[in-house]
Amino acid sequence: MEPVVQFDDVTKSFGSYVAVENLNLSIEAGKFVTLLGPSGCGKSTSLRMLGGFETPTSGRILLNGKDVTRVPPNKRNVNIVFQDYALFPHMTVAKNIAFGLELKGLDNDKIHRRVLELLELVQLQDYAKRLPAELSGGQRQRVALMRALAPDPDVLLLDEPLSALDAKLRQQMQIELKAIQEKTGKTFMFVTHDQEEALTMSDTIVVMNKGRIEQMGDPNTLYGRPGSVFVANFIGETNLLRSAVLGMESGVAALNWNGVTIKADPGGLSPKVGEHLYVVLRPEAIHCSADEPATGNRIKGKIRQRVFKGNHTSMMVEVGDGALLNTLVHPSEIAQLEGEDVWVGWKIETATVIPDRHAHN
Amino acid sequence: MRTPFSDVPRTTLTAFYWAFILYLLLPLTLMMAMSFKDANFVAFPIGEWTFDWYVKVMQDKQFLEACLYSIMIAAAATLAATTLGVWIAMLIVADGIRGQIVLFALACLPAVVPGMISAISLRIFISTIDMPTGTAAIILGHTVHAVPFVVVMALTRLRSMPGNLVDAARDLGADSIVAFFRVTLPYLRPALGGGMIFCVLLSIDDFVRTFFLGGYRPTLPMLIFAKVQGGMSPEINAMATLVLVVTAAVGLYAEYFTRRARTR
Repeated sequence: MEPVVQFDDVTKSFGSYVAVENLNLSIEAGKFVTLLGPSGCGKSTSLRMLGGFETPTSGRILLNGKDVTRVPPNKRNVNIVFQDYALFPHMTVAKNIAFGLELKGLDNDKIHRRVLELLELVQLQDYAKRLPAELSGGQRQRVALMRALAPDPDVLLLDEPLSALDAKLRQQMQIELKAIQEKTGKTFMFVTHDQEEALTMSDTIVVMNKGRIEQMGDPNTLYGRPGSVFVANFIGETNLLRSAVLGMESGVAALNWNGVTIKADPGGLSPKVGEHLYVVLRPEAIHCSADEPATGNRIKGKIRQRVFKGNHTSMMVEVGDGALLNTLVHPSEIAQLEGEDVWVGWKIETATVIPDRHAHN
Repeated sequence: MRTPFSDVPRTTLTAFYWAFILYLLLPLTLMMAMSFKDANFVAFPIGEWTFDWYVKVMQDKQFLEACLYSIMIAAAATLAATTLGVWIAMLIVADGIRGQIVLFALACLPAVVPGMISAISLRIFISTIDMPTGTAAIILGHTVHAVPFVVVMALTRLRSMPGNLVDAARDLGADSIVAFFRVTLPYLRPALGGGMIFCVLLSIDDFVRTFFLGGYRPTLPMLIFAKVQGGMSPEINAMATLVLVVTAAVGLYAEYFTRRARTR
């Protein structure tokens, strides 16, 4: 199937600053795609280029196979939900939503029906005659979403639309956004710096860093098999174990990490002895126990810090030559307190190995 | 330490304030009082009271014509000044335009140039381009004078406008003209309402520019001036009182209007 959106070697620079560099990206119809990255990574610029508010310095942007690189925003069939909603303050909710429909030249009857249908989708039927100033943050958010959906765009662009909401409302809106996306079957392109938002809603996450794509994949892959140190650090909490290769034994690498010997599956890599690698180990993949476990990796350590966090307990366990492992256990799983000995262990396949890029320089 | 003298500055200030109020209001009150005097000359004591002067003024064809003429000029000048002022304000806030500070300074200049200088230079200007004195010249003069006030008011409002409102309109299919009329202009409306009333008051009040640029048809201030030349009479007081009441009411309404817009 032809992709809805295609970035074809797109570069955008502002003076000497390169915001987006050689971006190649295709987005399939009906997907929830998230551009994730820290501020300044080029995610918003990419979105604005697709919206028509920035012109690429080089490269092409295709929308349904048609080159729209230089088409003005009012002539391309994409709509944006802006970060602060940008609702027209002098128009009622209904008028705001009708704006794009009126400009499409639809007759009043059709506009009226469509507006009502959209308001019902987010349960705001009773608010049609209110002004934006009379709505709560979450309601404004929904109106902005419906206004952008009203003209039936090929792609809906969302520029950090949840960042102005408080934590609880944000979580609620994440679920609602995803539900609306599934109900309407629209292609959503969502921009955020919040990894939790990205994991919750996306079919595909595109992690960006310094104007380039770091890694792209579904949430599970990105979390479970990060392809770079940047991705491993950016998504979720993680232990990054920088280790030296001791040798290979039946496809499993033996590594020296701070004086402790650990085993890891090098995946597609073929490490040489003495080379450095990173082992990515998620805190929840580590099991803590009083007795020696039977897992492929097991180390005896000392609890340095134990923090109760409600539904889980976070423990810092010191192993080897003073190295710390961040672990996450069930509060009742382990009775040992700070200063006491504990065994940590993890299955070989739960850790991912990524090359240490700097070592090759 | 509290001494009998520590209250002096405040007491003095209050005294000055009341002196100022008295100085401001006394002449106006006297003028109004005299307009009700049933006699031909302006002097105390008032003696008999009457509304006759008002009746006479309202039947005075010259006065009514001057009113109409003033209103017409004010309307034209306001329309022109608002159009120009909004345009200049939009240029000043637009991206990628150089010399915005110079533009702003030039737009504000007519507000600070002394009226006499402005009037003389406009007179020289219109005769240089062979433009006759009269209605068009007066409107030109009043427009130039009013533009800075519109620019400042529109600019204040524009600067508080979320930048992506226009982007949102464009995104939803509006070209820049539609976006201006359907989003920017309605957003500016409260500021423009106040600004336009101010323009009207400036124009109606203007004497010096009108004097230098006008033809034979008198505007309201010119008519009153001409009448005063022929000697004071309670009729002039009645005229002036009418003008004062109407303009004060309009001015207060404008103040209320912009205040409400600012707090909204």
